[in-house]
This record gives sequence, structure tokens and C-alpha cells, in this order.
Amino acid sequence: MANVSGKVYGLTILSPIIQDDPVDICHSMGLRWYLSQLPRDCRSPFAQLSSTYLARLVVMDDVVFVGHPAREEHLKSRYLIFESNFDGDLDTYLRRMATETKDFVEAVWQHCIGFPGTGDIEAFITYMKRCQVETTFFFADVNDQTVESTLYALKAQAALARFMEKQQGRPAADIQRNFAEFYDRLRRSPGLPRGGTPSRNIPQEKRPHD
Amino acid sequence: MTNINGKAYAMNAITPMKPWKTPILRLFFFILGVVRPLQKDLKNLSLIHFARWVSVGRNAFPRLSLEQPREELEYDYLLFFSNFNGTWNQYIDAFSDVLYTGLDAIWHWSEKYPGSRPVTDFKRYITLVQFDTDYYYNVYPQAATNDVKAAIRVEQALSSFARSSQGMTPEEFAKAWVELQAEVCPDLGSTGLAPEGT
Repeated sequence: MANVSGKVYGLTILSPIIQDDPVDICHSMGLRWYLSQLPRDCRSPFAQLSSTYLARLVVMDDVVFVGHPAREEHLKSRYLIFESNFDGDLDTYLRRMATETKDFVEAVWQHCIGFPGTGDIEAFITYMKRCQVETTFFFADVNDQTVESTLYALKAQAALARFMEKQQGRPAADIQRNFAEFYDRLRRSPGLPRGGTPSRNIPQEKRPHD
Repeated sequence: MTNINGKAYAMNAITPMKPWKTPILRLFFFILGVVRPLQKDLKNLSLIHFARWVSVGRNAFPRLSLEQPREELEYDYLLFFSNFNGTWNQYIDAFSDVLYTGLDAIWHWSEKYPGSRPVTDFKRYITLVQFDTDYYYNVYPQAATNDVKAAIRVEQALSSFARSSQGMTPEEFAKAWVELQAEVCPDLGSTGLAPEGT
């Protein structure tokens, strides 16, 4: 199945957006406004969906006219594109969306045609699957890990570099003892924040060195 | 517009295709998926976390109610979504320099595709068919694809060392410690914030 590469699932959803009669703020604009305010770091709803690597939401207004002699044509609906790369299976992921990020899902998909809400989880899963389009070709450079194992690896890499630096020139017996403590501490310490910390949004000239 | 989150760039593109060409493209993708060595250049380029092509038939756009107007399209559409590291120009240049054969085999079937070389026309075409991202989430904004791969190698070496070094004498440990440092040294570059303005 082209939606899957190793342990990674590539989900693509096209949800048609409601087009009302003229209103103050149309649904696509309301949706864009909401998305522009949504945190993109560890406070993101996707940070709660712990199996998400990368995800995006895009309002697609229309198809593209590439110039003559190609034919010019237009969509009759706008579509919300939801593209997500996560580890695990689709049903579990959608179920977690409906339960763990309920408010976010309601705020986004309330603008879409046929959205049944999150009260009935099975109905929500069915709705999302009706909107799903099959991936034709999916490439995942690293596809044998989970989000948790990848974040642990990144934490271990940084910690080991610092530890090695501090142990330079010490007697072997000291390093051996320190290593046992270091490794135990590493295994028990909390993981990296999913989505990064808000502090990364500070201006470049004011950022502390790593 | 939020195409960038940390070190990752979210690219979206859509190109029209005559419907009779779609099965040919699907066959090409099928072969690309089955014959893994054909993905070697994509893998070696090592700047793409995840990428996908989605072929949507002219009658396959989801229609969820009778009130929703039925699409009346003559073209099928090829959607492309990529999560890559670096700047847009670096990415397109890398496509044109390294992956031109494969990319031309994919987009050759799209209307008015000019080919990936020379890169000027290629960039003009991508600019035309690209559309912006409204929300982009990245679980590890501080890490590029190469950082992830390096971290996994380091973690595997570290856990192996932690197991094998138990019960060693200080002399044996010292020798194994030096070997571990030599093994992981190339992969210990620190991750961090991406430069701004990319």
C-alpha cells in the first residue's frame, strides 16, 4: 500500500470546504485565520498526537492554469488539505485526533462539508476516510523508527557529545563510573519537547548558543 | 503563509495531466516503489524527511453531499508534497542537478512541464504550480534529515557500548571508550536553530 513506508503512514485528506451565501467571513478565510493563530511548537495540537512527525494544513483555493495550449479550468469547491506523516496505523491516529485534540479538530473541520463532529468517533473516522486520497508514491527517508525513538536518539546524541567533552583527560576509572551515571540519567530523563520550545521563536541575534 | 518550520520546508504543488497519461505515471511509481535501487539518488540526497506524489483523478475529488457541486474537470491532477531541509532554491537546484532523470520521468506527463534542465524554466514552472501552506508542524524543528540519521547511528552505538562495557576493567573500558569516540565522532555535530530568512 503506497500510504505506508516502513513504520510511517502518509495520510492525505481533501475535505471540501463549505461555501455559504455571502457572509462576513467565508469559511476558507475563517479557517485560514484560525490556522494562522495556532501554535506551531510544543503547544501545537500535533504535539499532543505524539506519533506525528510532520503535518500540514493547506487551503487549496483552486487548481492551476499552466498556460496555453493547456485548458483553463477551475474547481467548484475549495478543499482543505491535511497531510500528515505519523507512525502507527490510521484508525488509531484518527481516533486519537478525535479524543485527544477534540477542540482543534472541531475548530478546523467545522468549516468542511459533511463533518459529523467528534462526538461519534466512528462517524468521524468514516468521514475522514471518505475524504482520504490514496498516495501514489510515498518516500520516507527514515522509516524504521518511531517518533519517540527518534526524539530519544536526538537527545542521546546531544547528551553524549556534551558528556564526551567533559570527560576529556580524565582517568579511565572515573570515566567508567561517570558513564554509568550518565547513561542511567539519560534513560530516565524526559524526552525532547515535541515540536520544539517556544523560545526558538526569539529573534536570531538574541538566541543563546546551543 | 508558514511554509517553514525550523529546518523543514513544506512544499505543495499541483499539476494538470491528461487522463490517458495517468496510468503510465502510476506504472512508473509502482516500479519506483518496488525496485528500491531506483530510489538511491533520492535517499543519498538526504535532504527530504518525507515526500509524496498523489494522483487525483478528475472525478476523484471527494464529494460528500448532493449540495456540494460536482467537479467538472478534464484533467487529472498530480499533487506533490515535500518536507525538505534547506532553502527553496537549494532544493530545486538539487532536483535539477541530481534527480533530473527521475523528476522528468514523473512530471513529463504534466501539462507544459519544461524539464528540470535548464533550471531557470524549471523554477518558473514550480513557482507557477506551487501553493502555500497555512499551518505546518514539525516534531523536531531543530533537526535536519542528516541530523536524524546521525542521531540514530549515535544512539545505536551508545546503547551497544552501554551493554558491552558492563563488567569491563578500567583498562578494557578505556580502550572501548576510545573506539566509541572514534565511531560516533563524525555524527556528533550539534543540532539547533535554523538560520532565519530561509
